[in-house]
Amino acid sequence: MSCNFRKLGLVLSLSAGLLVTQACLGDTLKIGWLSSLTGPLSSAAIAENQGVELAVEEINKSGGILGKQIELLTRDTAGDPTKAVNFAQQLAFTDKVQFVIGPVNSGEGLATVPILARAGIPNIVIGSLDELIDPVKYPKAFRMINTNRQWISTANDYALKVLKKSKVAIIADTSGYGTSSAKSATELLEKAGIKPVYSVLVDPNKTDLSDEMNKARAAGADIVMPWSAATGLLGRVLNARGDMGWSVPVVGHPALMAAQIRKLLNKPEYWDNTYAAGYMSTTYMSDGKLPAPTQALVNKVRPKLGGGEIDILFWWVALGYDAVKAIEYASKTAGSTDPAAIQKVLESTKEFKGVYANYSWSPTEHNGFPDSNMTVNAANTFKDGSFKLAPH
Amino acid sequence: MKHLNSKSTQLFLGILFCSSIPFWANDQYQIHIATLIGIYWVLVSGLNLVVGFTGQLSIGHVGLLSIGSYAFAILAGKLGFDPYLSMLVSGCLGGFCGLMLGLPSLRLPGFYFAMATMAFSLIVNELVLAQGDLTGGGIGLAGPLFPAPFESPIGFYYFVLAIATLFTWASLNIVRSMWGRALISIRDSEVAAQAMGVPIFRAKLIVFVFSGFAAGISGALFASLQSYITPDTFVFELSLFFFVCIIIGGKGSILGPFLGTVVLTALPELAAPLAKLGNLFYGILLLIVVLVIPEGIGRLADMFIQKIRPRLVKTEPMKPDLSRLAQTLVTYSDTKRGQK
Amino acid sequence: MLNVFVAGLAIGMVFAAVALMYNVMYSTSKVLSVTTGHLSMLGGVFGAYAISVLHLHWTIGLLAAVLVGAAFGWITELLGVRRILAKSDEHLWLLSTLALATIVQQLIGLWWGTEPKPFPRLIAQDFNAGLLDQKFWLPIGITLLMAVGLELFYKRTMYGKVFMAMSEDPFAARARGISTDQIRQMSYLLSGALGGLAGFAAGQLTFAYFALGLTLTLNGFIALAVGGLGSNIGALIGGIALGLLNAFVSHWFGGEYQQTMAVGLLLTVLLVKPEGLLGSRKLRPV
Repeated sequence: MSCNFRKLGLVLSLSAGLLVTQACLGDTLKIGWLSSLTGPLSSAAIAENQGVELAVEEINKSGGILGKQIELLTRDTAGDPTKAVNFAQQLAFTDKVQFVIGPVNSGEGLATVPILARAGIPNIVIGSLDELIDPVKYPKAFRMINTNRQWISTANDYALKVLKKSKVAIIADTSGYGTSSAKSATELLEKAGIKPVYSVLVDPNKTDLSDEMNKARAAGADIVMPWSAATGLLGRVLNARGDMGWSVPVVGHPALMAAQIRKLLNKPEYWDNTYAAGYMSTTYMSDGKLPAPTQALVNKVRPKLGGGEIDILFWWVALGYDAVKAIEYASKTAGSTDPAAIQKVLESTKEFKGVYANYSWSPTEHNGFPDSNMTVNAANTFKDGSFKLAPH
Repeated sequence: MKHLNSKSTQLFLGILFCSSIPFWANDQYQIHIATLIGIYWVLVSGLNLVVGFTGQLSIGHVGLLSIGSYAFAILAGKLGFDPYLSMLVSGCLGGFCGLMLGLPSLRLPGFYFAMATMAFSLIVNELVLAQGDLTGGGIGLAGPLFPAPFESPIGFYYFVLAIATLFTWASLNIVRSMWGRALISIRDSEVAAQAMGVPIFRAKLIVFVFSGFAAGISGALFASLQSYITPDTFVFELSLFFFVCIIIGGKGSILGPFLGTVVLTALPELAAPLAKLGNLFYGILLLIVVLVIPEGIGRLADMFIQKIRPRLVKTEPMKPDLSRLAQTLVTYSDTKRGQK
Repeated sequence: MLNVFVAGLAIGMVFAAVALMYNVMYSTSKVLSVTTGHLSMLGGVFGAYAISVLHLHWTIGLLAAVLVGAAFGWITELLGVRRILAKSDEHLWLLSTLALATIVQQLIGLWWGTEPKPFPRLIAQDFNAGLLDQKFWLPIGITLLMAVGLELFYKRTMYGKVFMAMSEDPFAARARGISTDQIRQMSYLLSGALGGLAGFAAGQLTFAYFALGLTLTLNGFIALAVGGLGSNIGALIGGIALGLLNAFVSHWFGGEYQQTMAVGLLLTVLLVKPEGLLGSRKLRPV
């Protein structure tokens, strides 16, 4: 009996704790937000969080969705897929959310997307790995960020067609994202008839990249394409290129343009001749102005970020904002939050106007980001989170 | 009539209680957490013999978990073999890797053994990522479900409960037998144990292989529960987590590490609404637990029971039989005089 | 090739510095604190903060780094070690120091940010100095100074000899009237100060990054094991070996199998000589 008593006491207290976290099923529309606020990719997650919270605040002020206020349940997954799975289950079954946004990390997404699919909860996917979306296996998952393929092919097209380079050196990191991106990049290059002259996987915390850059130069590379989201690695690639005085263009992952990279550079000039896949929506047009929706959002967000210059990639904020707005649009159009109705509405959406992009989904295509929004930006034109076009 | 040992009764009652959880749990999430605790416990029960009873600093079991998970995902998922057979194969593979790891490293003194196990887990993680064709690399593999009736969450929970019971019973038996005492003697004083004829290396190796087997089985169940495994899951911190479960539970007991596993798995879930501050909260709580209850939660539970149902120490005064003593002395001195 | 050698040597020296810190703490308490790497991380972060954000002179930045390191070393001893050693349970310190390491990492992550931030240039030097760049030579120089300093400390000063006495036999030391508790506190303060110094010197190499702590802890641990617990020269050798191996394996085979090969090779060293290269078989069986 003593063992029974002990176990009962322990589990009772645990259950009490779990019950406390269960919000009362009142008149709220619950949105679950799986974000890696600490850990890898946290700068992206924190910026996206800004967008999400701003949208929720705005919508709640103007009456909510279908008469209900939005309740945002944020869970910090810290880059751990086990935590992501647990929180996804918690949001789905205990908190009974109507929608889930995220996770930010593709590695976590691979584990949570099937679970949310099984629970039948509409999932706005914001990870870029191509495998996260499948209209057959995950009918209620819709992606709003571009796919990894879109990033890679945009960068490749710029390298091969605009800059007219043919001897490519690929540098990627040894993380899950890095290894799969390097593979995809090599495949896409080979489809265009180019074989990389040098390809290497590097530990993202390696302190000096001059060896790899030297080898790339020795192999005769005329362009370096890094595929990694690790700020430290990208900063060191640019530093190595600058320190050795090698004037080769660097074209690759959008993280190359992040403001943190600028701070890590030995000299500001090292950011010249650096281009990355970017978006029309966060590009200054020929008259020096941003597209109107982007500028409007910038004005709204600026006071929340301290009122001064914005030094995060603005498309992250726009993505978070759009995710919540898409939920609002889908619910209002469907007239309810019934998952089947939401799925139908989203699958027949053409050009839903967001800040980050205009999204279109269909029953066979759940990747909503249009190719037309992809472009290439010049890194050293960073201002308030957006860029100018790279020379075309 | 067989005398029911109190530990067996406790185990039986514990099983009864755990079986009732699906009936009063609120939702599928809580069953998921309960199943996860069960799966972790399968590994921890094996590791407990190595860390809690033999006193080895083994911090590499996440590597064995990873091997079990991937073996199961590849055999039952990619290649389509029977899941039960695949699970057994994962267990045996875990045991085999435990043997390969233990043979060279168990001879190393404590701290170097820790380094060897840690190195093992780092190497396994890197190899899993690098061998993309086999393991899916960064993208990982899907974890197949077991066939009916175990593919529903509740069904799978009972399956895990059954396996966890088996392992608990096995470790209870090992601990209560001569083996258990041999292990404890190795932990407390290796030289004395050696002097008493305990085969130290063989004992350490056998429990290590057993813990590898447990880790392999646990890995197979884990892959099935998570439904998708990636290398990001099997980080070194998970090894430390298992080690912490045992230490926090208290060495030398079975119930302690079980409670430790329950508490440490449930804690981040309770801290979930804190979002960013969740991990910080977890660290602070861990520190407080260590400072306040250094003997472990198991001891706390024991102290609690002592208060409720104290083990009465019976005192029996010894009364010497003086007349008989006198008689003996007289007879002895007579004999002595007679000898001279 | 020389480039690979120098880069490997530089990071290897950082690992060696961490191994030296482990030695200092181990000698007086027989505890291998998980917070060791975090002491260096704090040195780098606070040095960067003082110089880049508060715009103080680099000497003040150095002082700040050393003081913060020493303070956290003292906290480690206070919270993580003192009460634990009083209890009989051996491996509890792993938990307490792990909890402390988690706490400090999370706090720094929340305050400083989770991205690597730049560490300022300390001495005016042009960036195309190649191999002579200070980001390589600062950690190498400082660690060598640390090692020499520690050796002199142990051999020539009274306190150093007291440290050695404590590491050999704490009971005898206590019997001779040495206040072992105070000496232990001192050793943690010293170790923290050294960590702050090492982190400050290595800042340009590693950037001021909050997740650096755990990496340094693990790698310093490996360096210590290879070199042998308790030997300072061994710590240097172990660190250099690990750094060079990492660099050369990466150079020849790319990053995919880097850890496997480097750590695997070091493990084979342990198989041949289980107490590390220069460790002594300090057995006290009965």
